[in-house]
Amino acid sequence: MKELEKTKRISIAAVLTILVVLIALLSYKKPSHLYAINSKAALEKITDINYLISQNEIDQRNQVLVDIRNSYEFDKGHMEHAINIPVSDILTDESSDILESFKENNKAIVLYGTNPTETIAPFMVLTQLGYDNLKILTVENSYYQNNLITKNVAAENKAPDINGFIQESIKKTKEAMDKAKAVPKPKITVTPKQIIPVKKKKKMPVEGGC
Amino acid sequence: MVNRKLVKFLSFRYVILASVLIVLSGGLVLLPKYQKHEGITPEALLSNANSPERYISTDELANRLISQDPSYLLIDVRDESDYKEYTLPNAINIPLQNLLDEDYEFYLNQSQYNVVLFSNDNFYADQAWIICNRLGYKNLFVLKGGINVWFNTIINPNKPSEDMAAIDFDLYSTRKAASMYFGVAYPEKIKKSSVKKAPANIASKPSVPKQVVPVKKKKKIPVEGGC
Repeated sequence: MKELEKTKRISIAAVLTILVVLIALLSYKKPSHLYAINSKAALEKITDINYLISQNEIDQRNQVLVDIRNSYEFDKGHMEHAINIPVSDILTDESSDILESFKENNKAIVLYGTNPTETIAPFMVLTQLGYDNLKILTVENSYYQNNLITKNVAAENKAPDINGFIQESIKKTKEAMDKAKAVPKPKITVTPKQIIPVKKKKKMPVEGGC
Repeated sequence: MVNRKLVKFLSFRYVILASVLIVLSGGLVLLPKYQKHEGITPEALLSNANSPERYISTDELANRLISQDPSYLLIDVRDESDYKEYTLPNAINIPLQNLLDEDYEFYLNQSQYNVVLFSNDNFYADQAWIICNRLGYKNLFVLKGGINVWFNTIINPNKPSEDMAAIDFDLYSTRKAASMYFGVAYPEKIKKSSVKKAPANIASKPSVPKQVVPVKKKKKIPVEGGC
C-alpha cells in the first residue's frame, strides 16, 4: 500500500508541474516591441555607420521623410512629401504598421525635427528595435512669416579653441602687466623737510604765594 | 482488453513523464535568444529619452565645479584628440565607440557619483546617455550645449547690453568670476590694480629722514608754597 501512496504522490506532483508550466506558457504575453539588437551592437551601429544626411542628399524615390515634431508644428509647415509621426506616438500600433510597411518596401526612413538633437530619441529607439536604414536629416527648421525655413546644420559644431582663448587672455594680461611696470614713475622731487624741534614750553612753577 | 492496454501504458508512465520534462527543459535552451532584449522596455526608453530631466546647464555645472562638489564625475565622449586639446577640469575621456567597454563600466554603472556626459554639442552625449539608460544606469546627466555653450557662457560670457535686466548683469558677473576660476585672465583687472598701486607707492616713497625728537615728559612739580 505504501508503494502505491508514493507513486500516487509522485504522479500528482508531476502532473501539477506540467499544468503550471502550461498555464505560464499560455499566459505569456508577447511584449509589443522587442529589441532586435543588444546594447553593444547598437553602439557599434551608431558609431560605424554614417546616418547623417544633408538636405541635398535627399532621394525621394528610396526614402521617406518622417517629421517627428508634434502635429501642430507639422501643420504649421513641413518639408515636401513628409509624413508626421510625433515622437510620443512612434511606438503605437499604427505607427509601427506604417514603419513596417516602409521597411518591407526597402525604403530608407529619414527623420527630421526642429533640430538634429530632437531626432536622437526616436532614432535610437527605432535602431534598437531593428529598423536598419534609418537616417537623420541634419537640418534646423524655423518659421519666418509663416513659412518653413530649412537650413543645413552640422550635428555637432566643432569645438571652439578654448585653450587658445585662455592663452590669449593670459598673454594679453602679461602684456598689460609689463606695460604697467614699464611706465616711468613720475619723479618726485623730495623737498628736504626741515625738522623744527618743537620747544615745549616749560611751565614755570608758580612762585610766590597766592 | 482495454484494461490491459491501459496497464501497459501506465507501466511506462515514468518514462513518459521524464521525456515530457526533458522536452520542457529543452525550452530553456531557447532563452538565450532573449538576451538581445536586455534593458528597459522600448516604451520606457522612449519616454526617458524624451524627457529633459537629464540636462544640466553650464551655469549649474560651473557652480558645482567651483564649489568642488566631490560627487560629480565628468566624462568626455569625444575623440581623444579633442580631449587632449581642451576638456573640462578633471574630466575623463571615454570615446563614444568605447562607451560599453568593460574598463569603463565602473564609471557608468554606479550609484555614488553623478556622472555628467558631454561632447561638443549635446548630440553625441545624448546618444551615449540613451545607450546607458537602456541598460538601467542611474545618475547620468548630459551637459546641455556641451563645450560650445560652455565657451559662450562660462569662458567667454556675453556682456549684457544696457537695456537688459539686473538679473542678467548679476549672471554676467558670476559667469565672469567663474571664467577666472577656469583660467581666463582679464587684462583690465591688472591695469586697474597697477594704477591703484602707483599713487600708494608715491606716497610712501620719499623716506624722509625723520628725526626722533624725544619728548621729555614733564614731571609735574608739586606746587610749592601755599595759597
